[in-house]
Amino acid sequence: MHVEQFLHINTGSPEPIYRQLIEQVRRRIAAGQLKAGDEIPSVRELAQALAVHPMTISKAYSMLEAEGALERRRGLSMVVAAQHQRAQSSASRIELLRPTLQKAADEARQLKLPTAEVIGLLTQLLDDETQA
Amino acid sequence: MTAHFPRAETTSAELRQVTLQYPKGPTVLDRLDWQLLPGQVVGLLGRNGAGKTTLLEALLGLREPDAGSVSLFGQDARRLDDATRARIGYVPQHSDLFEGFTPAQLLAYFRSFYPRWNEAKVEGLMSRWEIPRDQAIRKLSGGQKQRLSIIRALAHEPDLLVLDEPVASLDPAGRRDFLRELVGEVMDRGATVVFSTHILSDLERVAFNVAFLTQGRIALQAPLDELLDQVRAFTGSVTEMAALMARLGAEPLKRTPLEAGRERVLARLPASSAQAALPAGVAADRVNLDDLFTELT
Repeated sequence: MHVEQFLHINTGSPEPIYRQLIEQVRRRIAAGQLKAGDEIPSVRELAQALAVHPMTISKAYSMLEAEGALERRRGLSMVVAAQHQRAQSSASRIELLRPTLQKAADEARQLKLPTAEVIGLLTQLLDDETQA
Repeated sequence: MTAHFPRAETTSAELRQVTLQYPKGPTVLDRLDWQLLPGQVVGLLGRNGAGKTTLLEALLGLREPDAGSVSLFGQDARRLDDATRARIGYVPQHSDLFEGFTPAQLLAYFRSFYPRWNEAKVEGLMSRWEIPRDQAIRKLSGGQKQRLSIIRALAHEPDLLVLDEPVASLDPAGRRDFLRELVGEVMDRGATVVFSTHILSDLERVAFNVAFLTQGRIALQAPLDELLDQVRAFTGSVTEMAALMARLGAEPLKRTPLEAGRERVLARLPASSAQAALPAGVAADRVNLDDLFTELT
């Protein structure tokens, strides 16, 4: 995979860059886009491609290693850990969306929006993505 | 990663109790303490007129403080030997290039001062950044001058790189390319980098640490990751806030009074509980770098 397209970051977010990287790798593994044994870019490659401090990248990789998402191959780059043979069930993938939707739900309540309208908007956003 | 960040006994730069006042003017730096460690990339944040340029000049020994001390690689900044001087690279805010020279002449001139000079890097950057070698510097665009100034500062492979608004005249693509160079400098040699910029998105990428200059002091320096993870903005009545801060073990960084006995408190939670849920009924917002800049400078 081309390094530049492997991961991307949003600046100006309250979410630190290392967390953004962790979340993206988790999602790609959950969706089966990254599978056991797939090599991921080295710290150096990704730091240079994203113009991000290498410690930020290695912090993300170490945390992904600690939670069993990635494995370090001796003398080689990091790979996706052996347990991730296939995409997770949609039941466990949807759990990854929970924090984002929880936040949306909280904000919808603060805005006093009817449930149906919020669901309608989400459906519309999902359809837009499919068409694009 | 440790290989990229060799442990060193001495700080790259250390300022102790530095006070600097312009003649008949305000105190710009007020008993300021600051340390830069090898391999750190520190983004210096401050409002216009906060004294960022003065601070960077004082750090380099270009401006003598009224009180306090500055040392670079353990040496008094007022009396640096040539070997130590050669370890420093500086990109000033305003181009100080000799306007009558051509870039080729300028680089040849500076090359004679330094024991080390990475010709391959210079040539590579000159081509990649499309700087005409044989045209008078005065005829170059602002962006070209800035890039030339950066090349000059990187050519001798400095261990400490000080950059004052280095990207102000660069377009987004030029800025990204420059940031990649900076990241390379850090990875290849564990260079210490300090730079000031108002372009917070650039800073967020490469500055692992951020330092906030306000009222003549570095009010806070910390890894940006930690600040984004730990800092929250709370709003409530003044009495509630005091109790809440104590209960959470939070360190207030900035209090802003609101009407009707309420206040907004920007506070840093202890690292151990920053990711845990807050007690029921407590409203707190996460903050981004823009918020931190606005509140802390």
